[in-house]
Amino acid sequence: MYKKLKPYIMLAPVMIIILGIFTMGLVLGFFQSLGYFPVIGLNDFTLKYYKEVLLDKSFIDSFKFSIYISLISSVLSVIIGVLLAYSIFQSKHKKGIEEIIYKLPIIVPHSIAALLVYNMLTQSGVLARVLFSLGFISEQAQFPSLIFDKNGIGIIVTYIWKETPFIAMVVYTVLSNINEKLAEAALNLGANKRQVFWRIILPLIMPSILSSFIIIFSFSFGSFEVPYLLGPTNPKTLPVKAYIEYTNPDLTHRPYTMVINMILTFYSFLLVWLYSKTFKLISKFNG
Amino acid sequence: MKRNSYISKVIMCVIIFLLIFPLGVVLLWSFVKIWPWPNLVPRDFGIRAFEYILNPNNKSIRILCFSVCLSSVVTVITLLISIPAAKALGVYNFKGKDFFKILVLAPIIVPTIAVAMGIHVAFIKLGLANTVLGVVLVHLIPCLPYGIRILTNVFEIIGESMEMQARVLGANSIQTFIRITLPLIAPGLLSAGSLVFIVSFSQYFLTFLIGGGRIITFSMLMFPYIQSGDRMMACSYSIVFILSTLVILLIIEKIVRSYYKGENYFYM
Amino acid sequence: MKKISIILLMIMLVVNLTACGNNSNKEEYNVLDKEWKDILEDAKGTTVNFYGWGGSQKTNEWLDDFVAKRLKEEYDITFNRVPMNIDDILNKLLGEKQVDVKKGNIDIVWINGENFYTAKNNDLLLGSFTEKLPNFNKYIDKDSPEVKYDFGFAVDGYEAPYGKAQFVMIYDKVRLDKAPKSHEEILEMVKNNPGKFTYPAPPDFTGSAFVRNIIYDIVGYEKFISMEADKERIQKEVAPAMEFLKEIRPYLWKEGKTYPATIAQLDNMFADNEVLMTMSYNPNHVASKIVTGEFPETSSVTILNRGTIGNTHFLTIPYNAPNKAAALVVIDFILSIEAQSSKYDPENWGDLPVIDNGKLNEAEKKIFENIKLGKGTLPQSVLLEHRVPEMPANIIPIIEEIWQENIPVEGE
Repeated sequence: MYKKLKPYIMLAPVMIIILGIFTMGLVLGFFQSLGYFPVIGLNDFTLKYYKEVLLDKSFIDSFKFSIYISLISSVLSVIIGVLLAYSIFQSKHKKGIEEIIYKLPIIVPHSIAALLVYNMLTQSGVLARVLFSLGFISEQAQFPSLIFDKNGIGIIVTYIWKETPFIAMVVYTVLSNINEKLAEAALNLGANKRQVFWRIILPLIMPSILSSFIIIFSFSFGSFEVPYLLGPTNPKTLPVKAYIEYTNPDLTHRPYTMVINMILTFYSFLLVWLYSKTFKLISKFNG
Repeated sequence: MKRNSYISKVIMCVIIFLLIFPLGVVLLWSFVKIWPWPNLVPRDFGIRAFEYILNPNNKSIRILCFSVCLSSVVTVITLLISIPAAKALGVYNFKGKDFFKILVLAPIIVPTIAVAMGIHVAFIKLGLANTVLGVVLVHLIPCLPYGIRILTNVFEIIGESMEMQARVLGANSIQTFIRITLPLIAPGLLSAGSLVFIVSFSQYFLTFLIGGGRIITFSMLMFPYIQSGDRMMACSYSIVFILSTLVILLIIEKIVRSYYKGENYFYM
Repeated sequence: MKKISIILLMIMLVVNLTACGNNSNKEEYNVLDKEWKDILEDAKGTTVNFYGWGGSQKTNEWLDDFVAKRLKEEYDITFNRVPMNIDDILNKLLGEKQVDVKKGNIDIVWINGENFYTAKNNDLLLGSFTEKLPNFNKYIDKDSPEVKYDFGFAVDGYEAPYGKAQFVMIYDKVRLDKAPKSHEEILEMVKNNPGKFTYPAPPDFTGSAFVRNIIYDIVGYEKFISMEADKERIQKEVAPAMEFLKEIRPYLWKEGKTYPATIAQLDNMFADNEVLMTMSYNPNHVASKIVTGEFPETSSVTILNRGTIGNTHFLTIPYNAPNKAAALVVIDFILSIEAQSSKYDPENWGDLPVIDNGKLNEAEKKIFENIKLGKGTLPQSVLLEHRVPEMPANIIPIIEEIWQENIPVEGE
């Protein structure tokens, strides 16, 4: 009996925190999104807030904008991250400093990352100055606006800068654990390098790539600092919208905040579900 | 063959340069007084911002120390409760394992703002808002998934056979844990601990919402400057932030390494 | 060794967790019924938590270096500054009010305008306390509209004046030889310098003030002072101003398709020569930016001939302040000649004093006269001559909404 219960007991402390705070927070938020918020005198469950939010045009814009930013930044981060990990792996004959310094962005918080992209990409930023001194542009106005722009370039670049090393680190760890003999054997059997990468290495690192993709996608989808600091006036990303609603002094606006939060949560869960589906599919595929 | 590795070297250097160069610019900006367009190099340097940060009147350094303590506490608690959970998930088979695996990862998938805003009123009611305890608890949410995930991988690799042997040889469970398990998972603890520390140390929104200004961390001092666009101040705070993180990580690494020196050859 | 370290960690943990849990519960009493002498006595040896915006080095330094030091010396009060945006402060207070937290942790809030309106309306404040303050009674002109009203909203003693601000526009003499003095001249300037002018998007505080100033410049300020918060009416009144903002739009930075989100951004764009002008609600802002080296030495301020908006910023005490007595003492100290003059000095902060000149004796007047004006700024007298009052707080969000609906939308 004890043996059977043992894993559950070991999980108990973590579950107390996760269920007690995390799940509780979500449930309370969910109730508020349905208009049940007794402390301010809202006592009736209603779908009114969902309806209003979902039919609001600026919400749709925000939603599209959020998805677009997360998708582009996550895809690019994954590509660059894998490239970086693979190139470090390939060129690693002697252990170099590159193995440590590429991880630096991981310890940098997003707010600083935003600052740093700001320094680089404004029309008076470092990049514009370099282009100017090289003669590519003759005045500031010719430099495209990359920060606070409607295309969210500044936000995307910030996320890429921040997440690429994360992907690279995950992939690199897997790569260095892959038995080298496997690749060598394949090479000996006449496979070329490209084939080795696509047929052997990629399938092996695919699960970690996918799971890290999900992590960075949902992170960028739900985090508010970067778009808050670098986003355009219009459209705002969903988390920024939620935050602005949250700070509305009229507390009867709270349900709107929570509706946005619930939609964010819903999509995140959808992603996890998709992820576990694909994951199963892939593992089936690989036998 | 030769050409290939040359290309990957170039790719690597370019990417790493793009990652590191902006940090160099931040370092430079923290000393910049005037840097008019279109100069490539600042015209005038100063140390106004560092003078400000080091001035004891505004307590920046004290708050930095407090933040380090707070995040250390969060890290220790996270690791303490992650170890059993990770072992359960990594070693045993039991009903609902997949569900638990997803549940413990959920906090990194679900936006923390949704959770924090939902729990805020409850925390106020329970008297947890504006207390260190409340902030520590809420920090655990984004931290736990990282701790559990990394340690689960470690336990999956080492399995239980070593511990079993020790138990068979007559060691009790505490001895087994300290003599066998801990050294085995030490490298994993190191990377989990570092990551958890970073996550906790850089939290802005959660601390600010649940701490309500009574708990001030270094991130909270820094954010208004980034927002207000005083680049010299913002960059200087950033540099101090990054350097202190690095120092802490180095210290953690040194401690762990010196403890388990010569004992960790079991693990990879 | 390992055990010791584990034990140490545990101890650290426990100490950390308990350290902040214990607040001694003092007996509740109404501090406003007490004698000033007793209030001073109660305040002694305690800590005051001052909540306010923390993004300005100068302001922070003045509070940390001057106020905190003097309070310790004079009253044995520990001054604790907490950097937090007013939106979040109000949110926190509202949350506490809803679940009835009797003892919060904010003692003093730096506040004005819409936020004061919200706070007072929601019963978040202590009450009428200014009459209690000796310095308020001695130096402040209680009948001045700037003290009685905050953005058109009756103060009723719920907040004490802290400093005065006035909207100014900032330009660099070297790059722009003639600063615009009216909306017509702004139009002329942007036509001559396309892409070189913009303003922060409301609801940024300064951007919103700019829009209001344009409205005043075009349709006059008088009718707004007592206007009801009726959107249709306001929409009609401000229509000419919105037309003007549409007219200048194509000549703005990024062709007016996007606007800087914060004034800080505009400041940086000005510092980097990206735009010709920036603006500020603090007439001494330019001086402090010159001192820190962010703006060129040749930067200067200009105001509109028909006047620019001025306001007063205030300090208030929340209903659940844990240390009301010391909060009163601190606010009283900030109203002293010593604090107000130190605050006025551009070397420190450069914020206009709230003290009524007529209530000072010759020696006291001299203190203010001897303060050297900051570089690029205008003398107090010129500013005061061109000062027009703020609109009622409740119509400001409506104007911001109207701006939001009319100006940033593309493809019209």
